[in-house]
Amino acid sequence: MVGRGVKRKLSDCEDQMLDLPYPQQRQLVLDLCLDKLQSCQRRAEPSLHRSVLLANTLRQIQREMRQEGGPHPESSPPAPATPRHSPDLPPVPSDRPSTPVAALSSSLLCDDAQSTCTELPKGPGSEDGGKSPDLMFGSFEITNSTSYLTDLQLDDIFEDIDTSMYDPSDFSVLACPPPRGSSGASLGNDYNLKAFSTCTTSSSTLQMCLNDLDHIMEILVRS
Amino acid sequence: MAGAGGGSNDVQWCFSQVKGAIDDDVAEADIISTVEFNHSGELLATGDKGGRVVIFQQEIEKSQPQCRSEYNVYSTFQSHEPEFDYLKSLEIEEKINKIRWLPQKNAAQFLLSTNDKTIKLWKISERDKRPEGYNLKEEDGRYIDPNTVTALRVPVFRPMDLMVEASPRRVFANAHTYHINSISINSDHETYLSADDLRINLWHQEITDRSFNIVDIKPANMEELTEVITAAEFHPHQCNTFVYSSSKGTIRLCDMRASALCDTHSKLFEEPEDPSNRSFFSEIISSISDVKFSHNGRYMMIRDYLSVKIWDLNMENRPVETYQVHEYLRSKLCSLYENDCIFDKFECCWNGNDSVVMTGSYNNFFRMFDRGQRRDVTLEASREGSKPQQVLKPRKVCADGKRKKDEISVDSLDFNKKILHTAWHPQDNIIAVATTNNLYIFQDKVN
Repeated sequence: MVGRGVKRKLSDCEDQMLDLPYPQQRQLVLDLCLDKLQSCQRRAEPSLHRSVLLANTLRQIQREMRQEGGPHPESSPPAPATPRHSPDLPPVPSDRPSTPVAALSSSLLCDDAQSTCTELPKGPGSEDGGKSPDLMFGSFEITNSTSYLTDLQLDDIFEDIDTSMYDPSDFSVLACPPPRGSSGASLGNDYNLKAFSTCTTSSSTLQMCLNDLDHIMEILVRS
Repeated sequence: MAGAGGGSNDVQWCFSQVKGAIDDDVAEADIISTVEFNHSGELLATGDKGGRVVIFQQEIEKSQPQCRSEYNVYSTFQSHEPEFDYLKSLEIEEKINKIRWLPQKNAAQFLLSTNDKTIKLWKISERDKRPEGYNLKEEDGRYIDPNTVTALRVPVFRPMDLMVEASPRRVFANAHTYHINSISINSDHETYLSADDLRINLWHQEITDRSFNIVDIKPANMEELTEVITAAEFHPHQCNTFVYSSSKGTIRLCDMRASALCDTHSKLFEEPEDPSNRSFFSEIISSISDVKFSHNGRYMMIRDYLSVKIWDLNMENRPVETYQVHEYLRSKLCSLYENDCIFDKFECCWNGNDSVVMTGSYNNFFRMFDRGQRRDVTLEASREGSKPQQVLKPRKVCADGKRKKDEISVDSLDFNKKILHTAWHPQDNIIAVATTNNLYIFQDKVN
């Protein structure tokens, strides 16, 4: 934070906040919380105090959302369900978490001299005893399988995309997974998703970035 | 112009000195991270992010009609160096988190300085004489051939220019897994405590290879961690008593006579939450950033994000006094959360007779609360107000849109300019206020 005399002012976060109804306010805070927890890892000086305060805020919001009843598909956090959370995959190395939950766990553990890779929990999906750690969100609990991406209806992902700038004929080719060996675009599912990554909402972009990170992590761990 | 008073007369705070670079471009290493007067007030120490300690010494000009005093550089030394933890691939910052002076026992001065991991005991001593007239050595140090010596003389001490030397006498290392946030010297003059996020250790000042763990709040499963220790201090007179504050806004008082491990508190100071002020950020702003006993040992003061609270040690259910530092920020908490300012850790301090307390705020403002006279004042540490003996003009922040002349609106406040560290001379009305990289010294006009 080396300033060149530039004033740091209050952002217009407050104005946004006041206009929103309570659930959206909560979502805004939740998004900020997740961003900060992730950036905790990248900071030069990780602070346990800060991480704990952020985690508590996150928990409080999650508890509130739970009390309002059931899973909330449209209000669940943008954090992705990733294949890494499957129990039989190797644990994430403690210094490079790929998800906010792992980020939180490792940031809590990172200062502990005794912590090693093996101490890091494998992921919320694999917790024993039916315990539902407060750190988890609904979306994490769902994702135990590696086929998350293929299980989704692709149409659902593309629902809210503004397609006005695209040629409708191109769009229809890309949106429907082509049968194997068909002419035209013989694109894999991954490519379909990546091609649209620039025009998704910010929460999906976060999802994409985290998916990329997971992909890289998989490669690193397996090699 | 009235200021917050420390006695029957109103104190008029005047600019005295400012130390540090004038440049707006702040070098990271120059950021001041702690300020502390010694027990007599003659010495003022500052620590910075670059691991350096600078000590200023008070010089009283008796020639003036009023006794003005000036603080001039006495000693500068590199206390801590950056280290690298290879196991965790983390750099251990050299930033000085706290400095605490030991009570003076002889001609030398001793202080403890700490970074995140290591505490060091430094001896600061003066040398104003040196031996001259060696038989076997020239004045410049060259050795004389003994065969050429025809007469012997006794070396004598002659005065020399004052030299102040700082030497590390003890290094207390490897006792903390988490970041050290506090050190506090016991009134028994033998021991001191050091606190990190989860543990508090008791040391003997002479023994560096072991310490006793007296508080441990680390849960068996780190995922259950919801609370950390934020500050700790020994009682000024009772050598068995200390307090520690937490990120949940509670303070625990512990008695070391009760058991070796003081995980169970003797007293728990916790104020019930005000439901009308509840928000997403309630817990974050209740996190205590500093705790200080009063000099008389009857009260303790805590600083959380928006307020200063004074507790009577005999009453655990609520504080006896609460002062709002910058209540106008309550409606801006979301922005402050977004830009991380909500995590800023402000310190607080008492004046010599415990009648006034002081703490910092944003825009280089600092606040004083006169407990007896129930008055408070906001002052500013800035170069504009820094003509010699210029009386500081009280400031006012306008919370709503109706800004009066000379008032500053909340939206114009500069959140990069924060005063986190302040110190008050133990006897006199002299205060040291640290902005990002400058140290301001203000004094009472009338003497």
